[in-house]
Amino acid sequence: MLDVRSLERRWIKYKIKAYFPYIAGVFLIIIMLISLPIIWLDAEKVSEIKKAPSLSIHTANQTSTLADSNKEESTVLEPSMEFVKTFETAVPEPAIPSTPPAVSKSIPQSVPVTKVLSVPDSSTIKPPPKAPTPSTIVTPSDKQVILNHNNESKIDIESVERRFKETSNPNLGLFIARYYYDHGNYADAYNFALKTNGINNKIDESWIIFSKSLMKLGKVEQAKKTLQLYIGESNSDSARALLDSIERGTFK
Amino acid sequence: MENSLFSKPRDLFLDVVNPRDYVQIDSVSHMYQSLKNSVQKPLKMILLYGKPGTGKSMLLHKLHHDLSKQQKVLMFDIPIVDEDDFLRVLAQRIFGHSPREIMTLIRFLEIAEAVAYPEVPIVLLDEAQLYSASLMEKIRLISDARAIKFVITLHKTDKEDIIAKEHFQTRIWESIELQNATAEELKVYVQKKLLKANCFDVANMFNDKNMKLITSLTKGNYRDTNKLLFSLFTLYYWYEENNPAAIKYNALKSKWIEMAAIHTGLIHA
Repeated sequence: MLDVRSLERRWIKYKIKAYFPYIAGVFLIIIMLISLPIIWLDAEKVSEIKKAPSLSIHTANQTSTLADSNKEESTVLEPSMEFVKTFETAVPEPAIPSTPPAVSKSIPQSVPVTKVLSVPDSSTIKPPPKAPTPSTIVTPSDKQVILNHNNESKIDIESVERRFKETSNPNLGLFIARYYYDHGNYADAYNFALKTNGINNKIDESWIIFSKSLMKLGKVEQAKKTLQLYIGESNSDSARALLDSIERGTFK
Repeated sequence: MENSLFSKPRDLFLDVVNPRDYVQIDSVSHMYQSLKNSVQKPLKMILLYGKPGTGKSMLLHKLHHDLSKQQKVLMFDIPIVDEDDFLRVLAQRIFGHSPREIMTLIRFLEIAEAVAYPEVPIVLLDEAQLYSASLMEKIRLISDARAIKFVITLHKTDKEDIIAKEHFQTRIWESIELQNATAEELKVYVQKKLLKANCFDVANMFNDKNMKLITSLTKGNYRDTNKLLFSLFTLYYWYEENNPAAIKYNALKSKWIEMAAIHTGLIHA
């Protein structure tokens, strides 16, 4: 005679065994579906953290230099009218070419200018070791600055800025822009490159720093547009190379 | 339990070979007709082979049942492995001789020649793979001498293929291979068997889904199907007694078919 109860138990075991691979498969799929977005979000966070240092340094500089407030939102590019105003009131009108090229006219319209950030307290900061571009005209005072720079002596960036305000020397403006760019302060690099371009719109490196700062500030389209306009005006090889690297996605 | 619906079907599927239980299925009928035609020809040896449970023994019993009305037919469903005993039994039951001396092949052939039936007697040997090579050689010599016509069945395995090669390859005039049933054939087999015994209600419980499951479990093997259905109806009988509400009379329960398969060893659980 059959032991039906025992058979029923064996049948349940058999069904569990038979369905186990399917149950395990479904369970795995569910786990994967749940974990994939989490992994994806984590990866995004990591990439954001990786990007963050340049900005955080930038904001840290700002916060350390800003006397009263922690205006973190200053990283957002806005027209730096205050900067321009302060600059204009402090210095006499620079010798801008009588007929400014189309680039200098179009850029301010298409490219928003950053809010003026107070100049960092750089009494302890050394300027970056950077050679001047051969295209720039070197005056005696510039020579002094470059010499100091080459000798890696301490440079009071504030005094350079003061001199720039007084003389409106585009080489000083380029120096300051380069200094800020090398130190990751892309908003100030952008501001001084813009001012330098306003004084002399034929300095290659100034336009390059201007566009690179835009790139670093995440304004890719504006950077590209600026470079395209400048290339159209100057036929600059270095500007073209930079534009190519941006378009290929190899710009770092 | 009296008046049980499932006791009769259960007994129908007991694994016994009875020619009266022979169920006519197209493919098997075709095989059987070929076998009958071959037996009528002046052939010395006919081989019936296939996997265990494909119906070889049933066909052999059916042939014995049908031919015994017309001519001298002897059926060996249990092999006699001793050579002397084998020849002695043959001499006694075919030719009516029971010599006291040792029965040698030469003596046996002398007796066969002396009797000389108008029609060559037929001997049916089931499970021929159990005979020794030496006895098979003697069987071959007897058939060569046209003293007896042999119909033998063999399991189809590598080993038995070798036996067939060694002893029969040049002497087999006819060989018939039996195969497992398809789902359709198995359904016909089961239903015909049930209807033959007037188990109409139970026959109606088999649907296509049930038959597919049964075929997948038994792979169309008749012997396994008989064993499975015997266990299945034993289960139904039990539920009929102990839990009749669990029985559905419009179809067989897949769960109970699988339980029966576990019981018969077709499913390893």
